[in-house]
Amino acid sequence: MSSTVIHDHGAHDSHAAHQPSFARRWLMSTNHKDIGTLYITAAVVAGIVGGGLSMLMRAQLMYPNNTIVSNGQEWNAIVTAHGLIMIFWLVMPALIGGFGNWFVPMMIGAPDMAFPRLNNMSFWFLVMGFIFVILGLVVGQGSGVGWTLYPPLTDSTYSPGVSTDFTLFSLHLAGISSLLGAINFIATILNMRAPGMTMHKMPLFVWAILVTAFLLLLAIPVLAGAVTMLIMDRNFGTSFFEPGGGGDPVLFQHLFWFFGHPEVYIMILPAFGIISHVVSTFSKKPIFGYFGMVYAMVAIGFLGFIVWAHHMFVSGISVDSRIYFEVATLVIAVPTGVKVFSWIATMWGGSIEFKTPMLFAVGFIFLFVVGGATGIVLANAGLDQELHNDYFLIAHFHYVLSLGAVFAIFAGFYYWIGKMSGHQYPEFWGKLHFWTTFVGVNLTFFPMHFLGLAGMPRRYPDYPDAFAGWNYVSSMGAFLSGISTLVFFYVMYRVFTSKVVLADNYWGEGATTLEWVVPSPAPHHTFEDVPVIR
Amino acid sequence: MSGTVHTAKSQIRGTVPHQYHLVDPSFLPLIGAASAMLVAAGIIFAAHFSNYIVLIIGVLSAVTTMFFWWTSVVHEGAAPGVHTTITRIGMRYGMALFITSEVMFFVSFFWAYFNYFFFPSHMGVAYKAVWPPQGITTIDPFAIPLFNTMVLLLSGTTITWAHHALLENDKKNLVLGLAVTVLLGITFLCGQGYEYTHSPFLFYHGGIFPSVFFIATGFHGFHVVVGTAFLIVCLVRAMKNQFSPQQHFGFEAAAWYWHFVDVVWLFLFVCIYYFGRSAIVAG
Amino acid sequence: MRFSGWRVSLGALVLLAFGMPHLAFADGYVIAPKPWEMWLPQPGSPMEARIDHFMAFVLWIMAGVVGFVALLLAYVIVRFNAKRNKVPSTVTHNVVVEVLWTVIPAVILLVVAWPSINLIRYEADYQKPYMIVKVTGHQWYWEYDYKSVKGLDFTSYMIPDDKLQPGQIRRLSVDHPMVVPAGEKIEFEITSADVLHGFYLPSLGVQRYAIPGQIVHSWTLLTKPGTYYGECNQICGINHDAMPIEIQALPMDQYQAWVKKAQAEYADNTPNRTPAVVRPALVQLAQATR
Ligand code: HEA
Ligand code: HEA
Ligand code: CUA
Ligand SMILES: [Cu+2]
Repeated sequence: MSSTVIHDHGAHDSHAAHQPSFARRWLMSTNHKDIGTLYITAAVVAGIVGGGLSMLMRAQLMYPNNTIVSNGQEWNAIVTAHGLIMIFWLVMPALIGGFGNWFVPMMIGAPDMAFPRLNNMSFWFLVMGFIFVILGLVVGQGSGVGWTLYPPLTDSTYSPGVSTDFTLFSLHLAGISSLLGAINFIATILNMRAPGMTMHKMPLFVWAILVTAFLLLLAIPVLAGAVTMLIMDRNFGTSFFEPGGGGDPVLFQHLFWFFGHPEVYIMILPAFGIISHVVSTFSKKPIFGYFGMVYAMVAIGFLGFIVWAHHMFVSGISVDSRIYFEVATLVIAVPTGVKVFSWIATMWGGSIEFKTPMLFAVGFIFLFVVGGATGIVLANAGLDQELHNDYFLIAHFHYVLSLGAVFAIFAGFYYWIGKMSGHQYPEFWGKLHFWTTFVGVNLTFFPMHFLGLAGMPRRYPDYPDAFAGWNYVSSMGAFLSGISTLVFFYVMYRVFTSKVVLADNYWGEGATTLEWVVPSPAPHHTFEDVPVIR
Repeated sequence: MSGTVHTAKSQIRGTVPHQYHLVDPSFLPLIGAASAMLVAAGIIFAAHFSNYIVLIIGVLSAVTTMFFWWTSVVHEGAAPGVHTTITRIGMRYGMALFITSEVMFFVSFFWAYFNYFFFPSHMGVAYKAVWPPQGITTIDPFAIPLFNTMVLLLSGTTITWAHHALLENDKKNLVLGLAVTVLLGITFLCGQGYEYTHSPFLFYHGGIFPSVFFIATGFHGFHVVVGTAFLIVCLVRAMKNQFSPQQHFGFEAAAWYWHFVDVVWLFLFVCIYYFGRSAIVAG
Repeated sequence: MRFSGWRVSLGALVLLAFGMPHLAFADGYVIAPKPWEMWLPQPGSPMEARIDHFMAFVLWIMAGVVGFVALLLAYVIVRFNAKRNKVPSTVTHNVVVEVLWTVIPAVILLVVAWPSINLIRYEADYQKPYMIVKVTGHQWYWEYDYKSVKGLDFTSYMIPDDKLQPGQIRRLSVDHPMVVPAGEKIEFEITSADVLHGFYLPSLGVQRYAIPGQIVHSWTLLTKPGTYYGECNQICGINHDAMPIEIQALPMDQYQAWVKKAQAEYADNTPNRTPAVVRPALVQLAQATR
């Protein structure tokens, strides 16, 4: 089939004719690619802010009795903002809003998202939320309640002032953003697939976004309810979580984690999707066990809703609940294992090229398994009693997030940047970025396992001197990953100043999804005429 | 992906023109999100500094945004060939999914209620483990609440009446059915308003029972307000002949929403008013 | 089952390099965190001993899983890179391996879950204690109320950095440690007077939230006389990192002597207790509007 099949604007020439103004293109956009670009830009900004905060944190923790952060409240506010920004404004916007917007319509052969205006509004809600979360950090004493927002600390008695209100409302705004996005993705995927693109032919990234969108749809409103009740407790005299009026602080924990656990899969499922594409492309092999991959994601999504109280093993829940939630949690390892082994089987027998995206993908697989394995340790309620809220937990979730989800973001970035910008990244600098990041983050987070086992609690700006050694190592690692981020910015600089013109399918035969049939960069309206799939 | 297809291009057999609605660039999303931020900031300012100006500006601009947004949707719907069949199916998905998310919102409030209803000991050691809490007199479920149940159930039938009339292109009955439904919605709200102002327990600093009671019923009441407004819009549009038996998604969405509000009420009535009533019932 | 060999030698090396800090108690047996520690604290209670044992079991299995995946990846990288394997295969299904990699992890998980459930039951069994200590978290100190000893209810503050005496550990030592008899089962009734706190004793394997308005139970049994440390482990405001826990276990006779002394000494240390009800006004209002 020749490329004339696709309505090809020839990207550059046709656009020069009716170039939209800056405001029309970026403030009023109804185009999924431009909105995707906006999301990715926002994610990079959030990555800089959240990453900058983490550098500050590691600088403080480098030595005991350090005074970079002036007091515990300031520390708590920084930790809270770091956690929230990384989750809601870096990982989710990059994976779902960014890559999801760019590639879901393209992969299913649709001209755009189902509700383009709503799509734009999702983005602006995110921006408004970001303003609020920053206000929550800088206004007054700062909101030092942890990203988990547990009352009574979040009540007005213990967190007076407006900063915590800003933080809570920032979650409302980000939540609305995600919710509208989720509705949009589901409607798009269910309704706008090109003729012949059956559900069971859908690329895995699309499946990943579909499952993720359902998780968002069902989980976010519960968080919104919990946050609403918190705001009412703070400002309007109710006692949902306030023991003084008969309220139950543990209720909040249930509601939060009923959202919070699906949330962690919201962050990792799109990552799974990206990794599947990258692994298949660079092994030059189709995905191994496609159906297993699809239904593993569905299973993970479903199980994600029935394990929430594994975050509450020490909140005084009953023995039977602890046993139930432990066992249910352990079950998740099975579908996740199916995914891990299927990736390896996809590579097996392949002709693998280790370009930068593939390096990040292989790094992802290995590091995610490390983080998953420590997750299994934590899932044992009997062990969690020892490890809960200490640095072993911090190590666990940074392995699945900072080394998992973020690695997938980078894999996707290097994989698709040519398609998005029309220019290829410099391979040497990409690889340098990978290796510095890989060494840096492992150096940062592996020692945290030791700190945790030895009993170092989280959210501490100062600690007993015995913990100094590993903290020092960890800080050094963090600074290395900070430097690696500078390498990444240099890569971006090179991409945007590059003059090289790219082919439609610059990865060659291994790349088989529909985004590879259109020019690079993809034209403004990808499919004016939708492709008919065999 | 399943191993049979090996290059991207060989999957494509040809092309067909697309049937979707690609909308023009618009400032409304940015303004809408900014208004929502103003509303949020306004609530904070109102609560902390008794400053209501931001809130008022925010609400006004949010309402204005919605007005213009939906007006343009209505205009697009009226233009030929814009809201194609497949586009309308997409809108149905959108509405159904939105209602699903609303259901989960209510789940969080019901969860809060059941947390105390089934486990009164969760109220803490300072309280006797009984529900409703000691000292709380509840509202008689068979007074206004039962009346309101009847009102809502009736309104569910009148909206169906309107729907059938619409399908048969019977404008008179459509308008009549809608008007009665709107009236019933307003009746419900009046009943609820009376009940709130005469409730035997206070919302502000009243402890856990009023908290869970008012948030669940209040959030529902808010949905009735929204639903009634939605129905009023439909009523106006019906009078302007904007619905046809073939194309009336706006009406359908309103009807779905109304039924959803209705079902939530039944759960509220049974779980909170009936099962959550105290032994001695006040009028 | 602990990572004994290399762990101990590495630890010894490190200790040599850093000197022997914190072991200033001439005769005391002190379990405090050690520099460069890579494993759980030395068990001070049978519960921690079990946790230690089971942790090693689970961690070894997990190390096996990770190692296995790493081996597979390494093999694939070496064997199937584009240089060595020019022509990719097209295999996309193999029922046998797909079943295997579903069933084997499930079996491994069963092996983990079974002993784990026993551990949960064991940890939850706080019945029939020798005595009960009611532990109340405050912003930012702990209060210990000896339920069986009249008038023994005192507060425990961290020693600020500038008041440290020789032998005390920065950020861990407190003014009035909780003192308990060694070898006896102690039940904790854990609660809070304000926000959530975390009653966390790593070397004893104990951790529960302190929740206002509720009582959460846990227990311990200190095998040997000595000093053990813990920390507040749930974010509780500005001084969250400054409310450590110190427990001293004494032989029974010394403990009894301490009780006598403490009853006299701490008589006026009994805290001005903030009631568990945070906003009593709420309740009154609720009742007034009946
Ligand atoms: C992307 C995010 C992400 C992901 C994917 C996961 C995945 C998992 N998490 Fe994690 N978790 C977090 C993010 C994430 N987590 C965060 C942020 C927190 C802390 C929140 C806070 O308190 O602030 C947390 C906390 C947390 C806790 C609470 C600890 C505590 O508070 O004390 C627990 C306990 O059960 C847990 C368990 C698990 C498990 C079992 C998985 C499983 O899904 C992992 C499954 C994967 C594997 C097991 C590896 C691959 C499988 C194989 C190779 C097959 C063979 C394997 C076996 C036979 C075991 N996590
Ligand atoms: C995705 C989530 C995420 C990520 C990426 C990170 C990244 C890092 N985190 Fe974070 N962290 C959390 C989520 C995350 N963290 C959460 C949820 C908490 C708990 C908060 C709480 O307790 O309430 C926490 C807590 C936490 C603590 C514990 C604080 C305490 O309890 O006292 C520490 C301590 O060292 C820490 C350090 C770091 C470091 C050094 C990094 C480094 O890896 C940072 C290096 C920087 C990057 C890797 C970002 C680079 C990315 C970009 C520049 C964007 C690129 C974008 C595109 C290509 C689109 N984090
Ligand atoms: Cu008390 Cu943290
Ligand atoms: Cu979880």
